[in-house]
Amino acid sequence: MSAAVWRERLGVEGLVEERPGEWVVRAELSELPALADRAAGSGLRLASLFGTDEGEGRTAVHHLWACAEPPGFVRVWAVVPAGAGFPSISARHPAANWFEREVMDAFGPVPAGHPNPNHVSLHDDWPEGAFELRKDFDERRVVPRVGGQYRAYRPVTGEGVFHIPVGPVHAGIIEPGHFRFGVAGEPVLYLQLRLFYVHKGIEKRFERLPWRHGLFLAESISGDTAVGHALAWVHAIERLAGVEPPPRARHLRVALLELERVYNHVADVGAIATDVAFTVPASRAQAIREDLVRSHERLFGSRLLRGTIAAGGVKCDLTLRSRKELMAQLARLGRDFKDLVSLLIDSGTFTDRVDGTGVLETQVARELGVVGVAARASGLDLDLRRDQPHDAYRGLRFEVPVEEVGDVRARLMVRAREVEQSLSLLAQVLDALPDGALLSPLPDALPAEASALGWAEGWRGECLHWVRTDARGGIDRVKVTDPSSRNWPALVRAVPGNIVPDFPVINKSFNLSYAGNDR
Amino acid sequence: MLSILTRSLRTGILTEKDPFAAAPPFGFPVIDFARCIACDKCATACPTGAIQLTPAGPDRKLLRMSHAACIQCRECLTACPEQAISKAHDHEVAAYTRDQLTRVASFDVDEAGRATFRGVAAQPGPSLDESAARLRERIQGRLGRSLHVRQVDAGSCNGCELEIAATANPVFDLERFGIHFVASPRHADLLLVTGPVTRNMEIALRRTYEATPEPRIVVAVGACGCSGGLFGEGTCSSVGAVDQVVPVDVYIPGCPPRPQAILNGLLVAMGRREARLAAALR
Repeated sequence: MSAAVWRERLGVEGLVEERPGEWVVRAELSELPALADRAAGSGLRLASLFGTDEGEGRTAVHHLWACAEPPGFVRVWAVVPAGAGFPSISARHPAANWFEREVMDAFGPVPAGHPNPNHVSLHDDWPEGAFELRKDFDERRVVPRVGGQYRAYRPVTGEGVFHIPVGPVHAGIIEPGHFRFGVAGEPVLYLQLRLFYVHKGIEKRFERLPWRHGLFLAESISGDTAVGHALAWVHAIERLAGVEPPPRARHLRVALLELERVYNHVADVGAIATDVAFTVPASRAQAIREDLVRSHERLFGSRLLRGTIAAGGVKCDLTLRSRKELMAQLARLGRDFKDLVSLLIDSGTFTDRVDGTGVLETQVARELGVVGVAARASGLDLDLRRDQPHDAYRGLRFEVPVEEVGDVRARLMVRAREVEQSLSLLAQVLDALPDGALLSPLPDALPAEASALGWAEGWRGECLHWVRTDARGGIDRVKVTDPSSRNWPALVRAVPGNIVPDFPVINKSFNLSYAGNDR
Repeated sequence: MLSILTRSLRTGILTEKDPFAAAPPFGFPVIDFARCIACDKCATACPTGAIQLTPAGPDRKLLRMSHAACIQCRECLTACPEQAISKAHDHEVAAYTRDQLTRVASFDVDEAGRATFRGVAAQPGPSLDESAARLRERIQGRLGRSLHVRQVDAGSCNGCELEIAATANPVFDLERFGIHFVASPRHADLLLVTGPVTRNMEIALRRTYEATPEPRIVVAVGACGCSGGLFGEGTCSSVGAVDQVVPVDVYIPGCPPRPQAILNGLLVAMGRREARLAAALR
């Protein structure tokens, strides 16, 4: 039924519903741009874009679109012949910008008509012609470093105009990346990013590991999003295997995902205070977070909630007593956190630093395909928990907080309001946890030559894992899309016009993952 | 202003007197070799190769367990058919060499293929005490009771960074031990490095090390920093453990290590605490 809707909206014949909420159509390569325009025109949002190796030098390019009504994802794909390029959609759909360049860097085909067809994931000393994600590329191959410069930084010229290079090793306890500011006095003219310093070849590694070990890799994509990525991974595996986790497990997963959201949001609110040198609330936030992650350790055996999610269910349980304790603690946390937020926004010296700082406009956010906290702070009302519900979210009551201004304060307020919603969700789940099993049995092997998408709304935004199996049921390809991949280009648009000393707090208000982006 | 003061007074002091008082619910796995039948189930279940079973001749098998690579996932506990693996509530673990974090048990295999435990091989390289003495000699008291630390993320998933940052929170408050995070390697006595070292961070790590004044100490943090962990060593993107690029003085295993373990490892590097191994390795 819903497949017919999409056939009509996109004007394609061969579209089929491969799985509930996953519509797939193979198109001709030349049709991709027109289909992208039609998809965007019918309210779809580009969620990911990736390549696959189709053998004999051929590559496939997949456009993944998210839709709220009917809820799910549409994947349009086309095969690129050996040695050929593929039509770029980035000029009309800027959300595709980095994705298309990543396809080029990892598989070879060049996006034709791309406004900036430079390498994005490869560093200057990576040789030409070595494509990591092609099947004939051995992970253990020694790749020599070469000289040369792939990507020169945009120059700045003029009196009093200069570059400030920062990184990859930063001054704080944060991840590595290189920022290059073009400045005229204090205000930033523009910002250039060079990331992928912590590229570990995770997508390639998935193909080598037994599929049961993929879960641990998923938990290590971005350490602060262990539950979010673990859920996206197991959702894909469960859809492939045709397994439905039991109700108790689905509710516990909600609890785990919301706990992850709370500890990260609390820490981020504190970190924003740190970056404007407001130490009292910063310390309070750290103490609240520490109290919560200690409970994680006591209840689930891991401060960062690793090892809690399993394919088919969960690996942990909560007794009635521990649920009551946790609820009491969360009630306390709610009060303390509210107090903390009011301490911040009642302070003129604080709001002076965050109001109107680092504005990401709604139109820009929409064009760039920004997701998660950053999107909701810029007026984009999207959340997979409500729009494409997973686990037990369909039956739970919650609101999706949206702010309009898109500045540092808006991103702070989205977090503050989301913590309230998370606490309400946790209360609902912990109060009425269904009885029953924690795990549904999984088959010994995954079906051969099949693919499925797993998704979860992590604390930072949507985590997507697209998994395809080979002829023997092993992992053939995993595309990991971290919310950071989509939000980093937005930082470049939010910083210009602000002064250099405000950059740390703008960056922190996005708090994007380098590890998740670089993989 | 007044409200801030009253709130601070009401909160009081949150810092724990002894951060090492409480044992974790799960440290590292302990194999009871007497009950182990060297069946390979734990080695197959282990995602990082922290447990490996290798035949050594027709009638001998070696079981190698390395806490440097263990991500504490507990899969081996459920995989063991003999319930020979238990969870230990190990206190903070740190060592000076990878060998100190590794044990090799040998098993006799009879004609029917049954394995019986024979003994644990002697640990190669210096003992904990010898390593501690060497490090002390190298530093020659030049640190005194203060330590300036530059943290370097050379490829981490950011889990270790979260726990390193937590050591500075009001509950742990590592500054009371004289430990202070600094912004530049040129101001640092010690580099606290997480891994795996990626190809794209290898040069930056080496340059950071070169910018650090002697006697520079390097501490590797986490399963990936100690061994390459899940990401392996020698792939096109991951060089592997920190010691593949710069010499390492102290290893803090775990995935990620708890803030208590990181704090302990720093105090071990300063010579202010004795290095301890997990129960299984003692």
